[in-house]
Amino acid sequence: MSARTSVARRTLATPLILSALLIVFALLAWFVGSKPFNQTIIDIFLRVILVVGLYIFVGNSGVISFGHAGFTCLGAYAAAWLTMPPMMKQTLLPGLPEWLTALQLPYWAGAGLAALWAAVWAALFGKILMRLSGIAASIATFAMLAMINTIYSNWEDVTGATSSVVGIPIVRTVWPYLIAAILAVFIAWAHAISRAGLALRAARDEPTAASASGIDLPRERLIAFVVSGAVMGMGGALFAHSIGVVTPDTFYLGLTFITLSMLVVGGMGSLSGAVIGVLFLSVLIQALRWLEAGVTIGASKFALPNGVQEIALGVVMILILARRPSGLMGNKELGWRRAGSVAPDVSGQKQPDLSKGVSK
Amino acid sequence: MKRRTYLTATLLGAALASTPARADDDRIVVGFATAESGFMQAYDKPAQDAAMIRIKEINDAGGLLGKQIEVVNADTKTDRAEGAKAGLSVIDQGADLVVVSCDYDFGAPAALTAESAGLVSFFLCAESIKAGIQGVGPHSFSASVLAAVQGATMAQWSYEKKGARSYYRLLDTWTEYNKGICDGFDWALPQLADATLVGEDTFKNEDASIAAQITRIKSLPEEPDAIMLCTMMPGAVSAIKQIRAAGINSMILNGSGVDGSYWLSAVPDLSNFFVPVQGSIYGDDPNADVTAFNAAYKEATGGDPSTQYVYPGYVLIDVWAKAVERAGTTDADAVVAELEKMNEEPTLFGPRTFSSEIHHQNKARYLIVETTNGKPGVVDEWTIPEAIPVADLMK
Repeated sequence: MSARTSVARRTLATPLILSALLIVFALLAWFVGSKPFNQTIIDIFLRVILVVGLYIFVGNSGVISFGHAGFTCLGAYAAAWLTMPPMMKQTLLPGLPEWLTALQLPYWAGAGLAALWAAVWAALFGKILMRLSGIAASIATFAMLAMINTIYSNWEDVTGATSSVVGIPIVRTVWPYLIAAILAVFIAWAHAISRAGLALRAARDEPTAASASGIDLPRERLIAFVVSGAVMGMGGALFAHSIGVVTPDTFYLGLTFITLSMLVVGGMGSLSGAVIGVLFLSVLIQALRWLEAGVTIGASKFALPNGVQEIALGVVMILILARRPSGLMGNKELGWRRAGSVAPDVSGQKQPDLSKGVSK
Repeated sequence: MKRRTYLTATLLGAALASTPARADDDRIVVGFATAESGFMQAYDKPAQDAAMIRIKEINDAGGLLGKQIEVVNADTKTDRAEGAKAGLSVIDQGADLVVVSCDYDFGAPAALTAESAGLVSFFLCAESIKAGIQGVGPHSFSASVLAAVQGATMAQWSYEKKGARSYYRLLDTWTEYNKGICDGFDWALPQLADATLVGEDTFKNEDASIAAQITRIKSLPEEPDAIMLCTMMPGAVSAIKQIRAAGINSMILNGSGVDGSYWLSAVPDLSNFFVPVQGSIYGDDPNADVTAFNAAYKEATGGDPSTQYVYPGYVLIDVWAKAVERAGTTDADAVVAELEKMNEEPTLFGPRTFSSEIHHQNKARYLIVETTNGKPGVVDEWTIPEAIPVADLMK
């Protein structure tokens, strides 16, 4: 017990520093006071939630999941079902059960239940999928994503099929998103230093030795899968509240790849990497978009051609991964001491390279 | 690393802060939160160009309420989350009117930001009932005509003018727009005495082959007089080609989505093919002003309008400016009240009506374009005598 407390104290710096970083972004939005900039910061927080959610499973288990956008979809639609005005539900989603149509919760309660809903499905899917390892598991998670997407794109009465679901209350202040992002960071940290998290990371690096020591790999993976599914579900719900519209195609390949690449660029094996990856790439994307729109320097206006943003983003990501194959943070966490105190780290752990992340 | 992130963010924040904040009341600003990149750009750009032509005309004639109309832009990048930002961005730049993407799904996030800021929003050319009160709120409008009106127009016109009695309904289930055309057809058909639906089928826009559907049409005891084809580009071309290649010569009735001659070379010598349009891009519009507009469009953009979807952009600035003029202010509620008073308001592309129940056209004049031997041209015009009830549109 005392050992656990000391692990917590030793590693508490990481979530605190990351939260401080997020608070700086929120304050920036507050100081600038521009609505589109505020929305940009909200977007960044949403991505932080999603990438941290992804990290909880991918980072700790080493199994790349292509399916987590599915949980975001589950969460977003659950939020729509729970928070839309009953009148709109009646016309847009006539297939919902009566008690659900009549229900209208505040957004935070909706987001909580959406997270729970996503977690329930993560548990059901995970029970089967977590028996698989390596690339087979990755492909199975992708199949899960395709299933969720197909069901939500076609179940007309309940999800509105491919039409946009509108009427979701829009929340435009930055604070709820900040709180949720900090919550996600702390959940990830708490899971990482828990028995399940430590066991899972041990199994990621040395599966044979880990199972010889009595670690039940499918069970530990399932725990991470459920926790990360819940965080993704919460992120999905908040996404729905950030723009007020949900459609199934929002939560498909595009979201899958952007969240995965942010995690990979930041460093798959590190919670700090997940957060820093999002912040770094989001700032880069935003700066490039800003340059595309044009900057006035003196008398002349300088603008990049449209589309440069996507190309430049790709080039930067290649450069980062060429120079630092294990991402910006590698396997390190931010800490008080220099050179990154080994936070929720298993001693003697090797730097995982990318190819290793997928294997086993 | 961390420091660099801070630095970039701070610079970014400072730069955004320096952009002009809320406008004073001396300006009249139209904000376009539309796609300047991505696939929606192909739809948004032409309609926006047409809107700019109307703005220039108004400004050249002395402006609106004695002020020049200013224009601000923000790119949605054909992305919903970016769409919300683009909406907020033009609102921050002082927009009195927020013009959003052509398609309901992509325009809605920006329209919702305008709605919550209490501003008037206009979809460039959305044809779903949701693009307005039903899907956004009481300050939202669409400049185009409901897809259902197109289906109803084609059913009635072919019945009255072409003597069609047996119909076959072929629906591409890809989009709301397609379903809307067939919904209008379904509404109109039962009202036509002794018109019968001899069969119906569905396909998907991406289907490479619709051989199965064609076999079912071929196996009917008699070839139907008309096929109501509810589809859109790009799948429409392949479907039309296959129907004709199978030797089915029935009239093909369509929605406006297949207007334009850019694809006709893919189906050589196409005949007996009918499309409803709001105005003609072929230089033969009964209203000479439309032809003059086409010339002005060519002068402004360097090319002829490629489809009729250019026109709603012009209409939206036209009706909004009239409402502002009548209200004597750009205040959203006053402008909405004036817009809702419009009943058969004449525009270059047919009369427009708005009411407190529907901010869209559930009845409109359509020109009928017939393609004969690969040559499209206006042959007639038709207005459905009765507006389609809102209840039937909300199905």
